[in-house]
Amino acid sequence: MKRLGALGRLLAGLLRELADENAYRRHLERHGCPHSAGAWRSFSESRLRAKYSRAKCC
Amino acid sequence: MKRVLGYLAWGAVAVAAAVCLAGIAIQRGEPINSIWLVVAAVSMYALGFRFYGKFIAARVMALDDERATPAERLRDGIDFEPTNKWIVLGHHFAAIAGPGPLVGPVLAAQFGYLPGTLWIIIGAVLGGAVQDFVILFASIRRNGKSLGQMAREEIGKIGGFTALVTVLLIMVILLAVVGLVVVNALKGSPWGTFTIAATMPIAVFMGLYLRYWRPGKVLECSIIGFVLVMAGIFLGQSVSQSPSLAPLFTFSGVTLAGAIVVYGFLASALPVWLLLAPRDYLSTFVKLGVLLLLAVAILFVRPQLQLPALTRFVDGNGPIFAGKIFPFCFVTIACGAISGFHSLISSGTTPKIIAREWHAWPVGYGSMLLESFVAIMAIIAASVMQPGVFFAVNSPAGVVGATPAAAAATITAWGFPVTPAEMQTLARSVGEQTLFYRTGGAPSLALGMAHIFARGGGQALVGFWYHFAIMFEALFILTIMDAGTRVGRFMLQDLLGHVWAPLGRTGWMPGVIGFSAAIVAAWGYFLYQGVRDPLGGINSLWPLFGIANQLLAAIALCVATTILIKMHGARYLWITAIPLGWLLLVTYTAAWEKVFSALPALGFLAQADKLETALRMGAMAAAKASETRALIFNARLDAALCCIFLVLVTTIVADSVRVWIAILRGTREAQVREAPFVLSHLRVEEL
Repeated sequence: MKRLGALGRLLAGLLRELADENAYRRHLERHGCPHSAGAWRSFSESRLRAKYSRAKCC
Repeated sequence: MKRVLGYLAWGAVAVAAAVCLAGIAIQRGEPINSIWLVVAAVSMYALGFRFYGKFIAARVMALDDERATPAERLRDGIDFEPTNKWIVLGHHFAAIAGPGPLVGPVLAAQFGYLPGTLWIIIGAVLGGAVQDFVILFASIRRNGKSLGQMAREEIGKIGGFTALVTVLLIMVILLAVVGLVVVNALKGSPWGTFTIAATMPIAVFMGLYLRYWRPGKVLECSIIGFVLVMAGIFLGQSVSQSPSLAPLFTFSGVTLAGAIVVYGFLASALPVWLLLAPRDYLSTFVKLGVLLLLAVAILFVRPQLQLPALTRFVDGNGPIFAGKIFPFCFVTIACGAISGFHSLISSGTTPKIIAREWHAWPVGYGSMLLESFVAIMAIIAASVMQPGVFFAVNSPAGVVGATPAAAAATITAWGFPVTPAEMQTLARSVGEQTLFYRTGGAPSLALGMAHIFARGGGQALVGFWYHFAIMFEALFILTIMDAGTRVGRFMLQDLLGHVWAPLGRTGWMPGVIGFSAAIVAAWGYFLYQGVRDPLGGINSLWPLFGIANQLLAAIALCVATTILIKMHGARYLWITAIPLGWLLLVTYTAAWEKVFSALPALGFLAQADKLETALRMGAMAAAKASETRALIFNARLDAALCCIFLVLVTTIVADSVRVWIAILRGTREAQVREAPFVLSHLRVEEL
């Protein structure tokens, strides 16, 4: 049961990482600012700019 | 005792690998169960990972967990962040798994399931995983530098520039060929076209939802998007059955190609948050979910393979693409065995989030083995169909005949019985008007997947599963097209920015429009060429893409070999030099045959000469003359492009060999350009 819980947490962590939600949380912690629409937009814009300047794999 | 048990367990894995490989290699005449392929692949991966991968990690790279990685040293909470190794593995796998490992193996199944299966397993263990792993390691030791930067620093300026131009050209061919896969899957299919068209407003809705209504709630938004896409598939069935709505979503290949070109331009010029990013999130989750579902379904259903181990087309006269097993099986299946594009990912985001050096072993080597397994699943999905059906779906009209009756007669005469009535029943069962002439791999893969899923979840849903599979493939192909056009624009601007600085400014609106249009025009031209090609387009474009992708792998392996020589002299250079030598042999042979073969179905120049002769002799109808002139031009253009690829790679290989000889002779300093050692202070609980 404990292992199943750990697997579930790992899976949720992976999904949040792929969704950039973890990166956003780290961004808020680093800048010491609370979540807001403006904070998300500013994070998202710089994140996506970097993300889509690299090739996607075939 | 534990050690002895370990030896026994690995001995059992080795025996399982040997027995299953021998089984699939020897079996002839009767269908075999797909579980043989699964066990052979998994056992070989386990052995490769545990012994060869670990040998490279420990002896060759000397991975050191005491050494701080860029994720720790340069930690900024955004790009550089130490991350749990399994999350990095999932992230890396999601980044490298595109349409390549799904489409290539399906196309190569024209040789039978055996050649592709062996190449996928052996190529991944000895080549693809090694390339990904060594480049990831090199990038980690160099602060997360890209392949181009490493090529420039380790080999020289020529290497860096050549790598950039090669990637740009490959991108153009890649976008054209994946666009062709989508066009061939959707032409004459109102259900499929409606479903894919519906993903666009859904993605825009998701973009607005994320930006204005629920900022930051990406997972929540993706779940809503997924539910809407599923609803779109169900609605698509009603649209396809409606006499008034179906014609609105029924298009020819040329019209669809035009629509994709227009869409590509708009999507690459629009803000990324509006369309590209939300659909990318959605397609990533759908992709991982479907691949997991397919793996579980194959294990659960364990289907029989209907395709023979080897077909008569090993002689080079295949209907999907011309050419013999060597070299064409090895360029048709790139992703899944070895793919140059992976080196861009291994030197992109991944090295910046690896927390410990030893994590590079499962992430770099292990992820490639997972991708290789995706390719094995694709081979299985293609092979569960009756061979006659497989060839009826994948063969172009120019090869098998322009009517269903003619196509069925040709394919039956090859020894693969199929009837128009059988194809009609199959088409009806998946809600299509016809399944003939759907070259490109996506429809036959979708049929195979639908067959496997339906056996696990009810035959009545086969139409839903087929369109679900088409949606899954088209969703991430279109995301690749948007993102690729954008990246291509940046690359072009990067190149031309050296000529005139304002051209390099990525935010300059005339530049955005002009360069987006240039990139879209480039891949759009090849896409149009593929759609109009009487041989189906895949015959010329997929080998061109495969050659280009494998040549990019050759560049990555040149960089990797240079680094290994600088670290150890000649001692371990075989690790990357053997796959490099094989790839050069394969790609140079394939390129030579594609350009200079005397067979018009294979050689671009022979094809141009044949058409020119027919034109000169007046054998063409006047109405077809201008179309024929275009085909002649296209064949020569493809030949020229093939030669450009060869020149670019010859340049970088020659430059690399010059550097290797100088280092081994001692006339050049073997300067390893790694970041200095810094002791890691990461705590276990931080991972």
